[in-house]
Amino acid sequence: METSFALTGKGYVIVASDTTAARSIVKMKTDEDKIKVVSPHLLMSYSGEPGDTIQFAEYVERNLRLFHIRNNYSLRPSAAASWIRRSLAQSLRSRKPYSVNLMLGGYDVTIDSPHLYWIDYLGTMTEVPFGAHGYGSYFALSLLDRYVLSYISSKANTHFFLFTYRYHDPEATLQEGLATLKRCIDEVAKRLVVSPGKYKVKVVDKDGAREIEL
Amino acid sequence: MNSIANRFATTGPIRELKKAQTRVEDDEFSDSVWGSEAGFGSLAKGVPNFTVPSVPDPSSFLRLHTDDFADPNCRIKIQHGTTTLAFRFQGGVIVAVDSRATAGSYVASGTVKKVIEINPYLLGTMAGGAADCQYWETYLGIHCRLHELRNRERISVSAASKYLSNLVYSYKGMGLSMGTMICGWDKTGPAVFYVDSDGTRLKGDMFSVGSGSTFAYGVLDQGYRWDLTDEEAQELGRRSIYAAGHRDAFSGNTCNLYHVKEDGWKFIGNYDISKLHYDGPGETPGAGYGYDIRIERTAAPRPIAVQA
Amino acid sequence: MSRRYDSRTTIFSPEGRLYQIEYAMEAISHAGTVLGVLAKDGVVLAAEKKVTGKLLDLSGAKEGGYGGSGEKIFLLNSNVIGGVAGLTADANSLINYARSAAQQHLLQYNEDIPVELLAQRLCDMKQGYTQYGGLRPFGVSLLYAGYDQQHQFQLYHSDPSGNYSGWKATCIGANNGTAQSLLKQEYKDDIEVKAAISLVLKTMSKTMDSTTLGSEKLEFAVITLDPETNLPKAKIYKPDEIDELLQAEGLSKKEDDNAMKS
Repeated sequence: METSFALTGKGYVIVASDTTAARSIVKMKTDEDKIKVVSPHLLMSYSGEPGDTIQFAEYVERNLRLFHIRNNYSLRPSAAASWIRRSLAQSLRSRKPYSVNLMLGGYDVTIDSPHLYWIDYLGTMTEVPFGAHGYGSYFALSLLDRYVLSYISSKANTHFFLFTYRYHDPEATLQEGLATLKRCIDEVAKRLVVSPGKYKVKVVDKDGAREIEL
Repeated sequence: MNSIANRFATTGPIRELKKAQTRVEDDEFSDSVWGSEAGFGSLAKGVPNFTVPSVPDPSSFLRLHTDDFADPNCRIKIQHGTTTLAFRFQGGVIVAVDSRATAGSYVASGTVKKVIEINPYLLGTMAGGAADCQYWETYLGIHCRLHELRNRERISVSAASKYLSNLVYSYKGMGLSMGTMICGWDKTGPAVFYVDSDGTRLKGDMFSVGSGSTFAYGVLDQGYRWDLTDEEAQELGRRSIYAAGHRDAFSGNTCNLYHVKEDGWKFIGNYDISKLHYDGPGETPGAGYGYDIRIERTAAPRPIAVQA
Repeated sequence: MSRRYDSRTTIFSPEGRLYQIEYAMEAISHAGTVLGVLAKDGVVLAAEKKVTGKLLDLSGAKEGGYGGSGEKIFLLNSNVIGGVAGLTADANSLINYARSAAQQHLLQYNEDIPVELLAQRLCDMKQGYTQYGGLRPFGVSLLYAGYDQQHQFQLYHSDPSGNYSGWKATCIGANNGTAQSLLKQEYKDDIEVKAAISLVLKTMSKTMDSTTLGSEKLEFAVITLDPETNLPKAKIYKPDEIDELLQAEGLSKKEDDNAMKS
């Protein structure tokens, strides 16, 4: 079952996606890269209808590249996300819509800050501190939410026990972020009936995008 | 005035002539096939075009007439049962397939060629709609040849498979049914790509497609190593198809085996799966893959080619 | 002889020239001056109004709107102001196009259009009119003063042929040669908005035909960053604000001048 996670931290975004390509009950491939580096500071993980995913990802990749060639600068993550959302929304009302869900993580070099967008095939887009798609999201989101709960509770000055657990922290270092990601992956491996095997993990920060071995 | 009226009229002799002219021009192949368009061929147009049924909604028309969607009484039967496999190893690519064609529970043919010889360096396998695979892989052959003529070099397996996947993607949802492996040898060495009518295209070392694929994988995964010798690899392909033919009701009859090396593909042989069961690939009675084991008779000494 | 190449924009003359384009540029060099200066923390734009007169109803410019009389300086988007020189009717059409292009960018990318991209969009259109048969080129040059995150403050100029270029300080319209040589002498690379305003007004007062400056002959605009929101803030001055500014700069006409006129 396809799963992808992404979370932000201090000056970076981590995007992770499983690496299986399945057809009915058969895993056709177990090392498929489903995260594209669509521009120097932008990562996009994609999942959904086979065929649509790669076609749409390449469409996005080439359009962003074209923009770069024409204008000599890359779209900022927020602008790229808006454009991608619009493409999906337009596609939804076409004869043959793309059924693709995306996590878009980018680093905005003009204002030095990481951004993460959650986008689904209906053209819904929202900026999030962390997010997930697929069955894994049912486990990972609640896990990551606990930080937000503790954050609110600490603000309201009601310290209950959740405060001690900080799983998602937008100010976390890369090491801490990767440890949080590992928690998500382990949780899914533990509880999901058909859990994906391996994951590919990519990070984007001020130095650009790169792959990381977990 | 009259000429203007004629030009926009929907009836009348001039309109009929125009219609006839467009019909003549609407040949099976577009201009790109014939190498016009300033030598850019299909590049200029992107994905090539193919005529679809001239009804308002071609995909629902096709759905109505194929058995793809739960109507067993429709006119066009699509062949579903199959086992095909291909894998990459040190010595090239092994391609092995069965030869059974079924239509429902009826065995329509036992001698189907499920390996399509695209050109001397490329093979395609057939699973899903036989006609779809045959037609489009032959069509792919045309374009591979044109690529060769235009660019003075052979098309890579990657490019050929991408061409096919873009092509079938443009017909997504219109009833195409294909699951194919494009296998060959190019500058990068041996290569196998899985392409299906969803538009999926995967690069990999080993694929198996069809109703018997799970059985084939069972044998294939156990026996596969990168440094298999040619003989071991061929035996593994054969043994895997046998396993699928044995366990899958929709696969069987014979096994066709191909081996792709640097200088192109070679047909290794056609093996009767029943014979494989009793006698094995050689002419040695009692050296079969299954019979002796199953009746618990001590098998005649036989070299075991495949080791886990 | 050359008449054969005059009447159509699409045809080169034997010397390789496109007369209609050159005529369009010539027309602009008689139009009201527009002057722009790029500063470290903003861009300043000033323009000379040609359509004046006692009976002209200017009440529209005085109250409401975003400032400006609608003749020379326009707000193209929240981050770009444009100054036009040439045929006002042609300019109106271009401004409309620019505003639409900026909105389209906002719709597509959810960000303000970068200044250069806006200039490019207009130039693509202007270029088209130098090539397609039977069409007259736009008789308009524009100055674009704007801000974007990529390149901060910028000043661009585009002409009827569809060429555009970025400037630190430039001038279009009547007497642009004099103004440009003045700017060349006076301009300093680290100039700030306050000094740029004085430079613009001083240069304008020297190049304009009339001896004294006043709000009825002048349009004025500045784009800066709002210190609170850190977003670009375009300010097009209203007539009384212009007079106030001129007074502060010591460039306004003498009180007795006013008295004589009225």
